[in-house]
Amino acid sequence: MDHLLHSTQLAQLAFPEAVPAITLAHYLFVSAAMFVMGLIGFLTRKNMIIMFLCTELMFQAAGLALIAFGRHHLGADGQTFVIFVLCVAAAEAAMALALVVLLFRHKETLSAQAWKELNG
Amino acid sequence: MDTIISPIALYLICVLGALGVAAALPRRNKSLEITGGLVFASAVGLAVLVLGLKATDSGQPLPNYFFYPFAILALGASVRMITHPRPVYSALYFILTIIASCGMYLLLSAEFMAFALVIIYAGAILITYLFVIMLATQAPSSASAQFIDETDAVAREPVISCVIGFALLAILTTAMFRGVSDLPAASHPELAQDSVLLNLPAKVERILDRAGQLEAGERLARNEDGTAAIDIAARTITIENTDLHTTRTLQSDQWPDKLAAGNLDRLGYNLMHDHPMTIEIAGIILLMAMLGAVVLARKHIELEEDLKAAQARKLGDSMSGGNA
Repeated sequence: MDHLLHSTQLAQLAFPEAVPAITLAHYLFVSAAMFVMGLIGFLTRKNMIIMFLCTELMFQAAGLALIAFGRHHLGADGQTFVIFVLCVAAAEAAMALALVVLLFRHKETLSAQAWKELNG
Repeated sequence: MDTIISPIALYLICVLGALGVAAALPRRNKSLEITGGLVFASAVGLAVLVLGLKATDSGQPLPNYFFYPFAILALGASVRMITHPRPVYSALYFILTIIASCGMYLLLSAEFMAFALVIIYAGAILITYLFVIMLATQAPSSASAQFIDETDAVAREPVISCVIGFALLAILTTAMFRGVSDLPAASHPELAQDSVLLNLPAKVERILDRAGQLEAGERLARNEDGTAAIDIAARTITIENTDLHTTRTLQSDQWPDKLAAGNLDRLGYNLMHDHPMTIEIAGIILLMAMLGAVVLARKHIELEEDLKAAQARKLGDSMSGGNA
């Protein structure tokens, strides 16, 4: 038992800011609200660049939840996952912006409604 | 009491937020946008109040106040981002959202990720977005400086999407506030911390050296598998003298204060030790994205056949001229 206690103390040393009175649920609430903002933005805006920006907002919200859970479990896995989320977000941004530039050259507008004929 | 008030307050927040965002989304009627902004601000205020009450409920009288400005800034900037009719301003508000969430990362003691996020997201990805926005938006002529493109001026189905979005938020938050109290407190951080230290003998040695615990010719003893000779259970560190081939043990009351793996050590160790293959995959994803972006955005220049032939001849002439 002493052994376990010791490792807990060490882990607390590595995370010096023991979050007083702010629980995991607080961060999860902010994260969920940010995610919903991104969702609403993606559904309502017609500008393709803003739509992709809103997906970035959703990535951001997911990252906040990952970091909060990582802090909750006193591990580094959450932060590692945020690195990979960041990586995927960068790849997605590159592809999406290339696609937007391509589509803009065809129709001279950024409106997603100009591509109605693509409906599946 | 908490089980009754908490859901009602949460659903009130969700309804208010939905009304606010639905009204604040860009539309022809400008006055409604300001009203929507005010309604949304009241929803955020109510949310902060509920969260603050919940925080004081949990035993400690003083909540960590820094959380609230960051949360308000993040939510306010994100709603302004999805409601602002001009794309450049949207991108700038998104940068504000990122910086606010970096503040929350700092509060969660993820300082490396906070700074990496500012550098990578706000510094690199968002600047690329700004480039493309400016590249792909027609410059307003001087006569119509206030003109906003139809694409950005009117939102599509604001009411339905707000209802869907905030219904999702209501369900999520209910599940969270119910479920989290059932989660066991994080009292079993396993041996992650110790195994990180065990596997970083050079770091332990450096800390000991800086604290003046190592004399000339001494170094931290290693186990056979290369890990640092720290006995976790007995709380001792073995130090060997390479000249005299003697060993001594350092008791826990002589340990330097800073003998702990910091956030960056833990993150780096976790990344390299537990997820080495994922780094390779991430590299491949980035490479493929780069190639795909180059192929997609490349400009096809169609030349007539005789023009092509003329260009090829000119190229050949210049090359042979250069050789001669």
